[in-house]
Amino acid sequence: MTDHAHSDPGPPNDLAQVQVVWWYELLRYLRSKRLVGSIIIVVAILGLIYAIPPAVGTPYKGTVVNGSVGLTELNISFQGITVWGFGSLKSGEIELDTLEVLRDGAAFPSNSGANWIFVDEASFGGVQISANSLLFMQNVSGSDITASYDWHMPVQEFDVVFINFASILVVICATFFGADSIVGEFQNRTGYLMFPNPMKRSSLFFGKFAASVTAGVIIVGLFYIGTALLSFLTLGAVDDDFGMSFAFAFEYLVAVIAIAYLISSVLRGSTGALVLTFFMFIMILPIVDSVSMFAGVKINASVTFASGAMLYTMYDPYPEDTVNTDFGMTFYQYYPEPGLAALVMLAYLVAALALSLVLFKRKQLAG
Amino acid sequence: MIEIQNLTKTFGPIRAVDNLTLKVPEGTMVGFLGPNGAGKTTTIKILTNLITATSGRAYLHGVDVLRDPKMALSKVGAVVETPEFYPYLTPEETLAYLGRVRGMHSSEIKARSNEVLTEVKLNEWRSTRIGKFSKGMKQRLAIAQALLHEPDILILDEPTSGLDPRGMVEVREIIRALKKQHYTIFMSSHLLLEVQETCDRAALIDKGKLLVYDSIDNLKNLTKVTKIEITMLRDADESLLSKVRALSNVRALERVNGSTFLVTFEGSQEDKAALLRDIMAMGTPITGFSPVGLPLELMYMDLIKESR
Repeated sequence: MTDHAHSDPGPPNDLAQVQVVWWYELLRYLRSKRLVGSIIIVVAILGLIYAIPPAVGTPYKGTVVNGSVGLTELNISFQGITVWGFGSLKSGEIELDTLEVLRDGAAFPSNSGANWIFVDEASFGGVQISANSLLFMQNVSGSDITASYDWHMPVQEFDVVFINFASILVVICATFFGADSIVGEFQNRTGYLMFPNPMKRSSLFFGKFAASVTAGVIIVGLFYIGTALLSFLTLGAVDDDFGMSFAFAFEYLVAVIAIAYLISSVLRGSTGALVLTFFMFIMILPIVDSVSMFAGVKINASVTFASGAMLYTMYDPYPEDTVNTDFGMTFYQYYPEPGLAALVMLAYLVAALALSLVLFKRKQLAG
Repeated sequence: MIEIQNLTKTFGPIRAVDNLTLKVPEGTMVGFLGPNGAGKTTTIKILTNLITATSGRAYLHGVDVLRDPKMALSKVGAVVETPEFYPYLTPEETLAYLGRVRGMHSSEIKARSNEVLTEVKLNEWRSTRIGKFSKGMKQRLAIAQALLHEPDILILDEPTSGLDPRGMVEVREIIRALKKQHYTIFMSSHLLLEVQETCDRAALIDKGKLLVYDSIDNLKNLTKVTKIEITMLRDADESLLSKVRALSNVRALERVNGSTFLVTFEGSQEDKAALLRDIMAMGTPITGFSPVGLPLELMYMDLIKESR
């Protein structure tokens, strides 16, 4: 246009364009029902997980007043200590400063371990006992032993109940925010608006991907924050591996969104991409993992198997693989190794992202 | 300037564009004509980075769009088919998005958005989400976004296609206004009247091959075929029509009603005068003798028929 000639600095650099795309794609999610729906899911799940156990008679904490302590005779010696027997308290974490033991209705203090000691381990001197036990140093048979104490669910146990849902939430986020991102440009014809611009397709791709990840992080982050808040409000603490769990959840989220982008680059319809992404991670791959485990094959290369690290990292100690034989059958229980799991998820992320970028760049608006 | 060199695009066994070579000089408006499936949209999609070419080159301002689409498209505005917009954005936000992608400053985006939205009569809808827009409104917005960054080249693919009559008139008015602003415009269209009235030159393709590319004036003269509607004072009987059919230069005759018939005629202006004289000599007074159809349309039909 000769009359409108103007000094033009040219299109911005690729990174600046990625930022622009990221912001307007994020705006799409911020204004969409999907983000609102995801927030509702997070709030509902947090509410349900938090409310149901107490509602069905399994509170997170409480006080036992004069609770009977069932007695079991042991008569063992260990490291110079002779133990007559033990009595079990409630499972969970006992707040020791509130523990009061009564013998036939009268106070029965520990007396620096001369009468009894409290152990929270499930074994003593190689003998299996109940966790949270009082080990009696003197014969208390025939006595009525009762105890009063405050207890609460262990923080790890509380947090794990919630974090169990994180992998499903990641898949929901990848489905909502990633599955139709690429295919939508073609199916909804918005590619006709975007592709004729002075912008590389890779800039559009990475801007969209960054927005999908951001939206996912908002939701998964909200879930972790909500869990931490409930944990703190209920038990006054958060599991010390909570941050590591979130790091694994973040990595799994990015990897699953990358795979969702790959599916979105291959398929021609949004619905197919949405359904395939969701069921692949909710049903298909977990079934493959389960069948492999059942067959005694540890499938380290599975991204869904690797995602277990976000949960198991909260266990102290980290669980180890087990093989049990019952009823003439061998049962295998495998756990992902954290370092290897991180590498596997990273590999899926890089491979899926690279492949989907190539496909997106090659895909044509020929229809 | 747009320069297409030996451009070919195949889809499996189909050659959608076949060794096309075309040059659109700066500041001119070129109409790109052809029947459905001729390869118009495929050519435009290659020019606008929507699809790749099988071979050949396509230069926009001297930059090959197939090798460096980012630079090649930096001063190009395009409307390809009827693009869909992100329904969650308003026109204002859409223009801001595209303006930022194209490297415009926010003050420039604001000023130009006002101008282009006014130009396409969407100012009062500037803050309404596009999800509620009609096809005509979207098409006008598509033109607005194409003009936003004051491009040197405009590429329009059937800009009035699929619009209702009112929408067509509105978009046509906008295009006429653009022509006055001396853009380099490459526009495909089915509307020959539109092309004839607005374009400086026209290229006609069929089956991916360029049939003709010349100025509109030259194209009008390319065909010697004319259709002439002749009305007699009284009903024309069959013997009269037979005599007219037998006249030299008359290729076909078709009765419209009792007193009116349509003659397909091939010849010069002198031959046409002779035709009128010969019919008058047959004794029945003539009340009407007028050429019908657009010269470009006749040329179009002629060349397409030949190519098939």
